[in-house]
Amino acid sequence: MIYLDSAATSLLKPKSVGLAMEHALRTMASPSRGGYSAAMDAAETVYACREAAAALFHCESEQVVFTMNATHALNLAIHALVKPGMRILISGYEHNAVLRPLIAASADVVVARSPLFDRAAALEAFRSRMGECDAVVCTHVSNVFGFVLPIEEIAAECKRQGVPLIVDASQSAGALPIDLKALDCAFIAMPGHKGLMGPQGTGILLCNHATLPLLHGGTGSDSRRRTMPELLPERLEAGTVNVPGIAGLLEGLRYIQLTGLERIRLQEQSLLCFFEGCVRDSGAKIFFSAAPEAQHAVLSLIPGNGNCEQLAESLGRAGIAVRSGLHCAPLAHETAGTSESGTVRFSFSPLLTEKDVGEAGRKTKEILKNNYSL
Amino acid sequence: MPALIMFRSLTYAQRAARSLQRQGIPADITKAPQGTTDKGCTYCVRVADQRLSSSLNALRNEGIEHGRILQQSGSEYREVRL
Repeated sequence: MIYLDSAATSLLKPKSVGLAMEHALRTMASPSRGGYSAAMDAAETVYACREAAAALFHCESEQVVFTMNATHALNLAIHALVKPGMRILISGYEHNAVLRPLIAASADVVVARSPLFDRAAALEAFRSRMGECDAVVCTHVSNVFGFVLPIEEIAAECKRQGVPLIVDASQSAGALPIDLKALDCAFIAMPGHKGLMGPQGTGILLCNHATLPLLHGGTGSDSRRRTMPELLPERLEAGTVNVPGIAGLLEGLRYIQLTGLERIRLQEQSLLCFFEGCVRDSGAKIFFSAAPEAQHAVLSLIPGNGNCEQLAESLGRAGIAVRSGLHCAPLAHETAGTSESGTVRFSFSPLLTEKDVGEAGRKTKEILKNNYSL
Repeated sequence: MPALIMFRSLTYAQRAARSLQRQGIPADITKAPQGTTDKGCTYCVRVADQRLSSSLNALRNEGIEHGRILQQSGSEYREVRL
């Protein structure tokens, strides 16, 4: 199988991730509970992962909160910031992990719509509506189109206008630079199991704003207190954290540190462009930006007959794993005008080779040209 | 005899211990001894008595807040007033 669905989860991972998880399962107890070596080993691993994330995202280790996934992290951030009736400005490319918690919080959602791959227009859309809103939630990279929103400029504008910002870094963490200190935003949410190369069931919320727990329970500290501790990260980490998952995530972070963000970014960028070259002139509508800063690691297309599910199924039979449909982001499809058909999404990992991607591109083109058969 | 520097959470104790270790001060983490805290489960950083002063200076320089400080005296602990 050639795996081109890394925007959903990084199936291809460094070998050390699985080994660390297995080691943790066999040897580590509950962190922040006991004082014996198996508990302290777990605590050490959890803290080492906090430190590694803090170094990558330029913050203090206690600002790193472990979550189940990016959706959990976004729910925590929105729970802390959004009250019923607040006007919340979002991009036209948000995932349901942003939209649904906002609707559940009875927020008045305002969409800063802008054309695909037009970063200047995206910034202007935010700038022009920000004054009338209480907070901004914005994805860094669209999970459907790979559109890279100008998050540094949007964060600067939020700061200038005094509007708190939540960043959804689900598609960018581990590939593009993310600096909590420089962005100075309220929260940054991300999964551990995509670009950070950790296992499913892991996520991170970087906190730079007052928080409000969603879950209440044991933290291993301040135990006589009837309410959750005031201090982060314990305040948002009720119950035993996912130690095997965090042990795996630590290895993912170490892989990123050793490889280097820029090398990962360039590899993914190069694979995206190479693949686009392979499927060009196939009769499909391809959503590709010639400006490298506007698109990262994700390419969507719609086959000539508009049947995305059929194409994904044919590709699956040919050993190429892709995702079709709305990708849990109906808003992005409304913005791009692809709501009716959805798209077929190809997403790239730095662990893929040009040979794999070339073969996937060649087969995709053949399938498109030969009426869905190879 | 060791001195114990108490922290409000394990994460802060870990940050403090890492910081001291980076500055060449041997430090490890232990649970607070019975009867030394009214907050329930608490973690401490243990340093050698003679390194206590330099440890506190190092933590202050790093902006790491700590709680009470205890010194072991036989089988008992007494609070150090700064």
